[in-house]
Amino acid sequence: MSSQLINIIVGLVSHLLVLVYYLVNLYQMNQEGGLVSSKVFTLWAIVIVAIIFLNIVGNILTYIVLSIVRAIKTGKAEEERFIVDERDKLIELKGVRVSYISFSIGVLISMLTFVIGQPPLVMFSLLILSGILAEITGDIAQLYLYRRGV
Amino acid sequence: MEKCQVRNNIRKFRFFQNEMTQEQLAEKVGVTRQTIIAIESAKYAPSLELAFRIALVFGVPLEEVFSYTSEDEPA
Repeated sequence: MSSQLINIIVGLVSHLLVLVYYLVNLYQMNQEGGLVSSKVFTLWAIVIVAIIFLNIVGNILTYIVLSIVRAIKTGKAEEERFIVDERDKLIELKGVRVSYISFSIGVLISMLTFVIGQPPLVMFSLLILSGILAEITGDIAQLYLYRRGV
Repeated sequence: MEKCQVRNNIRKFRFFQNEMTQEQLAEKVGVTRQTIIAIESAKYAPSLELAFRIALVFGVPLEEVFSYTSEDEPA
């Protein structure tokens, strides 16, 4: 398995964890009597920072662990080749495109909540949710392209 | 638009180069082994530059390594 593929899987897992955290917190707020703006804003901040932080830390840790594992396997302390070649870049671009399309659909659905008379907090909560789901869709699309071929 | 395919003889040329491994070829052309595997199995059509680099490693013209076949034509 290539380092790029492992990176995508790590990203996918971290995005799924953030999604679960976000949904559980939203559900709890709803159970406690609806969305409260101060709590919702804090949750958004936590979720956005968590996604950025997990992406960066996940990438760094993946490279470190992979280097150690390969050094143990080969018995040499050589510098590991973490090449991102043209195929990786193409797959990444296609994944980003899938993410954008998913996010656009999410934005449209969020806007529709106004039509059915929901408050703006619901719309923005759905926006954040569609952002996380778009990241997950992009990751899955990349995994699919790595397996099936470009 | 009709579907087209870039075919290749990389496996054959690797064999003629003293059974050069995919890893060795990947290192020489500056890509990952996974990309060489994808090209060999016709799952990925390389860029023109990469195709030239692969042909250069084998020391043969580009058209001997890669060929272009449309789906309706016989291979």
